[in-house]
Amino acid sequence: MKNDKSADEKSQKPKKKQGPIRTEAVVPFLIVAVLVWGYFHFLFDKNIKSLLEYGGYQIIGAEVDIATLDTSFWNASFRMQGIEITNSEKPSSNIIRIGDIRYGLLWDGLLRARFVVDEMAIEQIEFNTQRSHPGRIKPPEPPKPKSTEPSALEKEGNKLKNEALEKTKEQYSDNILGDVASMLSGTSGGDQIKNIENSLPSKAKLQQFEVELKAKQDKWQTKLKTLPQGPEIQALGDRLNKVKIKDFKSPQELQDSLKQIEVIFKDADSKVKAVQATSDEFNADFKSIDQNFKEIDAQVKKDIKDLEARFKIPQIDAKSITRSLFYRYMGPYLNMFNKYKLMAEKYMPPKVLSQVKGQNTNKEDSEIEIKPHPRAKGVTYEFGRANSYPLFWIKNISISSQAGATKEAGNIKGQITNITSNQKLIGKPTVGIIEGNFPGMNVSGLAAKISLDTTNEESRLDYEFKVASYPIDGKELVNSPEAHVAFKKAEGSINSSGSLIALNTFQFKLENQIQKIEYDTSAKNEVVDVILKDVFKNIPIVTLEADGKGELPDLPMNLDSNLGRELQKGFEKQLKKRIDEEKEKLQAAIDQAIGKQKEQIEAQISKAKNQYEIELKKINDQIQTQKNQANTKVDGAKKDAENQAKKKVEGEGKKVIDDLKNKFGL
Amino acid sequence: MAILLKQIFSFFKLLNSDTGTNSLAAGLACGVVFGFAPILSLQALILLCLIFFFRIQMGAAFLSAFFFKLVAYIMDPVSDQIGRSVLESPGLRPLFQSLYNMPIVPLTRFNNSIVMGSAVISFVITIPLFFIFKKLILQYREKVVARFKETKLWKAWAGTKIHDLYTTYTKLY
Repeated sequence: MKNDKSADEKSQKPKKKQGPIRTEAVVPFLIVAVLVWGYFHFLFDKNIKSLLEYGGYQIIGAEVDIATLDTSFWNASFRMQGIEITNSEKPSSNIIRIGDIRYGLLWDGLLRARFVVDEMAIEQIEFNTQRSHPGRIKPPEPPKPKSTEPSALEKEGNKLKNEALEKTKEQYSDNILGDVASMLSGTSGGDQIKNIENSLPSKAKLQQFEVELKAKQDKWQTKLKTLPQGPEIQALGDRLNKVKIKDFKSPQELQDSLKQIEVIFKDADSKVKAVQATSDEFNADFKSIDQNFKEIDAQVKKDIKDLEARFKIPQIDAKSITRSLFYRYMGPYLNMFNKYKLMAEKYMPPKVLSQVKGQNTNKEDSEIEIKPHPRAKGVTYEFGRANSYPLFWIKNISISSQAGATKEAGNIKGQITNITSNQKLIGKPTVGIIEGNFPGMNVSGLAAKISLDTTNEESRLDYEFKVASYPIDGKELVNSPEAHVAFKKAEGSINSSGSLIALNTFQFKLENQIQKIEYDTSAKNEVVDVILKDVFKNIPIVTLEADGKGELPDLPMNLDSNLGRELQKGFEKQLKKRIDEEKEKLQAAIDQAIGKQKEQIEAQISKAKNQYEIELKKINDQIQTQKNQANTKVDGAKKDAENQAKKKVEGEGKKVIDDLKNKFGL
Repeated sequence: MAILLKQIFSFFKLLNSDTGTNSLAAGLACGVVFGFAPILSLQALILLCLIFFFRIQMGAAFLSAFFFKLVAYIMDPVSDQIGRSVLESPGLRPLFQSLYNMPIVPLTRFNNSIVMGSAVISFVITIPLFFIFKKLILQYREKVVARFKETKLWKAWAGTKIHDLYTTYTKLY
């Protein structure tokens, strides 16, 4: 009973009025705060490390390892140690190993939603170090199912890639010494020339052209028949002769005659127009025929070049020899360049990429105060002012490394300053300078300087790269069944500089000098062997000079080397006569295969052209004569009518005067 | 999550009761601002704290935020245009320059056209919406809840033992 009463009292007890602050939310808030702190304290660094390793693997295509990663919220700092990037071509070693990367963000900047780093340090850089375990290499992506059409971008990319490969293959065809050896031993394919006739693309093209010409001739014949012929034009004259052109009795008679002449004139005019249209059509056809014929000439020239390559007729000029010899030497560097270029293009913003590829883009407003960044949604403005922080700014990166830890470590000292999202705001370009040497690898005098300036309307990137000395060990220049040339041991130096303006116009210069060379030369053919040994004996220093200037992605490149010039001299005496003979043979064979047919077609075109031109002119002249006659008759009729009217007026006037005279009795 | 679910149930309970009209309307109005603001921004964080620590009806705020997030998404092009015209206005540029270079303020991301446009829209509509919400709640209670309570189905349900037990439970807790 007592219990019931107390329960009743409890239920009737007025509820305590609640204040505006939700005090019961404090405990859940603290729980959430502790959970967040726990995550950032225990798991955040591990997650970021895994994320960077995964992202690096996906982007670079080879395993990326990070030994430790530490971040601090209160210090706004980041530190990464033991970064290893696997060499995708040699998984047992790293392409680069960086001992330590650390930086701290300024809270001053973070509070303004800006990322400003005062000092960043990159230390203990090593190249080609041995890995503790072979790194994973990303397998190539599986081919897409046949039904999936490649995108327009992919198509364009593949087209450019194939064009570039073809161009490189054409320019740097390997094995020039093999071709020389074949020629000297008389085993070149020149004797097979007789069998080429049926496989010549120019011949096929010529035959196709002949068929098309025949079809055109038939078409013209038909067309000519539809044009007004002699009797039809004569009929116009006859009609004209029947029109009365004098002795008009009334103005109505004159008007009728003029109308008749006008109708005939219009008929003649329409015929002239028809002839003119046909004449224009013929001219257009002849123009296209001339163009097609020129294409055949170009095809003939291409066929000769192809046959020279097919029958291995070598080009004994310094430029070709240099290209051919240094193709193998430069191949790995070109491959690496292309690999990283493709990688950069994959991740480059589309706007920058289109500039690199030379496509037009609208230039942004160059004002300092307001700089919009286009986003997927909306536009983010930068309301900067002088001396304020840009959105992103690393003021200074110190790079250092000390030799001695491993053979691959070097003494490196460098500095990169002012990496920023808005150079105009800080008014300073990004400059990177690195100097050093790797005593363990006998590399000395390494110096690189790169600067990127976007403070002006056109961005400008300049670079200088220099290595005073580096070892060359067993580098092959030529390796074919016929000949072998390699630098067994040598010492090289390299000096390169260049600039990229507006991300589009690129120019560069490269000087590579190789000295203290121990050559390794051999050839199956004795003459070649002797020439090679003789030539290389007298070349203590090999120089390679390359330069290029042009708009990306098509960059014409010049390659020059004293090796090419010396080999040219060495082979010229032996081969010049032989090569010329082979070329003449080739030219003769082509002339024999298509020359006669070509001449016949040329004569046929010329004959047809003359014939049709004469015929058209004849028809045109006939019609013009009739038109002129009509004009003359119109003029005559008008004159006659005028004379008659004049006489009539004079007669009537005279009659009036006579009447007046009679009236007054004069 | 439990708190959130409890608050959403509480929202429906309050909606069907005769009390808490202002709290509900304030919650719904806060949700409008919250829905129009980007999630990762200072103002969203401040608003979240306000909703969490002050006695604003959380369920109403989150339901309203969810709905107005969709509205804001649809209205993005309009917000973009409004934001651009505000941010590119020459008269306001000195103000924006000062705000942009002040600490804390740039964390609101006011310099983004959509954020600025959405903020302008939400500030303009929030106060009228508070009164509209209030009126709508009262009308809902008058026209929908009162009529529903007159139906046979509700009367049958109100007479059951389970309803009694539920009423006792809600009174106690």
